[in-house]
Amino acid sequence: MDNVCSEKIFNQVYQNWGKPIFNFLFFKCGDDAQASDLVQEAFIKLWQNCKNVPEAKAKSFLYTVANNMFLNEVAHQKVVLKYAQLQPNKINEQSPEYLLQEKEFQEKLQNAIANLTEAQRTAFLLNRIEGKKYSEIAEILGISVKAVEKRMSQALASLREEIEGI
Amino acid sequence: MDKNYILHKYLNGEASPAEVELLKTDPEFAAYLKVSEAAKGFEAPTFNSAETFESLQSKLSGKEVKVRPLFSVKQLMRVAAVIAIVVTGYWFFDNRDTTFTTEIAQKENFLLPDASEVSLNAMSNLSYNKNDWEKERKLSLDGEAYFKVKKGSKFSVETPQGIVSVLGTQFNVFSRGNAFIIACYEGLVSVAFQDELVKLPAGNLVTIENGVLKTQEVMADVNPSWIHNESSFKNAPIGLVLEELQRHYPITITTENTLNKEFTGSFTHTDLNTALRSICDPLQLNFTIANDQVTLYAKNSN
Repeated sequence: MDNVCSEKIFNQVYQNWGKPIFNFLFFKCGDDAQASDLVQEAFIKLWQNCKNVPEAKAKSFLYTVANNMFLNEVAHQKVVLKYAQLQPNKINEQSPEYLLQEKEFQEKLQNAIANLTEAQRTAFLLNRIEGKKYSEIAEILGISVKAVEKRMSQALASLREEIEGI
Repeated sequence: MDKNYILHKYLNGEASPAEVELLKTDPEFAAYLKVSEAAKGFEAPTFNSAETFESLQSKLSGKEVKVRPLFSVKQLMRVAAVIAIVVTGYWFFDNRDTTFTTEIAQKENFLLPDASEVSLNAMSNLSYNKNDWEKERKLSLDGEAYFKVKKGSKFSVETPQGIVSVLGTQFNVFSRGNAFIIACYEGLVSVAFQDELVKLPAGNLVTIENGVLKTQEVMADVNPSWIHNESSFKNAPIGLVLEELQRHYPITITTENTLNKEFTGSFTHTDLNTALRSICDPLQLNFTIANDQVTLYAKNSN
């Protein structure tokens, strides 16, 4: 069958899923070097098991392996997230005072996200940054859609609580 | 409608504008919307796809040859090399020739593996292989030595000038420079030099110079005089005598003019003055000693 042992297919899988797996791991651990290492480990696992993995299953294989690796290696670390770059504010004609408030708010939000539990943060950021639907998140994390809903609600509630004055 | 349901619809991107407006009326849900919108503004750090892939490739190509057999050829070779070194090393040390060397004025007495006795005169070198000794009693000599050989198989002494072999006897071999002198004190000695073979019965002495038989004479001694710390000569060139003298005393001898005399007699190994007088008096010579320098000159006669 069409397993990923062929170098061409393997490269294709990497092109398609390298970045999403990296983001997924980054949302979990918040360290891009570590995320990058884990991406490599995940793809090495895929290559070693290439005979058993058809191309169509490669994506879920990678997410599962990445998740397991994260659990094995870093689940118990206290993670402090540093988000790389904030997108420039789309509205330019705001007053300096408003911009300052806005910046302050983003910083608070960033801290609040860092303080979420790993489960909440991963689900929340997969939805918000990656734009994934609940069903996709449920598949990636191997949980039910209902559980994703719960995590999202918990995440939002805890963010609102943490950021005062909204 | 349940606002929570609408919130999840909104997060899934399925809520209608009207539903979003409805949520905004509730301050709690308005806050959720604001947080959700703002969170969209974040992004994950850039993923260096190409670099990661390259390092992935190198790891993959490295991992393919990771299986190592329990006994690799390389490991076996290492073990074999160590064993080889130890074995050859032992063989080398064990197989080394046993060597005895004497310096000026030094004499050495020792037994060979078959209990034959050897006395080694000064400035001589004798060596044999103790492993081969049982098969063949053979040793090499450079210098002078006296042998009392136990009866048994053939016993050979190899010198640069020739080979002396016996079955069991007492004999002296002198092998220095061009001179090759063999004295037999007991039994029968055969001397092979160049292409010649001389059988030497007890009480005989043979002098071979430059591979040519010079004299074969009868002697009265029962063993060589040097054993008793004395060197004896009979019609020997003065050069040979002085050479022997320098083997027993740490001196350098210079002669004033070329002496062309022959010496018959002996000198002691224990006292230089006496030894010099023993040589000089019969030859009408005088000598002076300054440190290790001994000068001989003819006595002023007429």
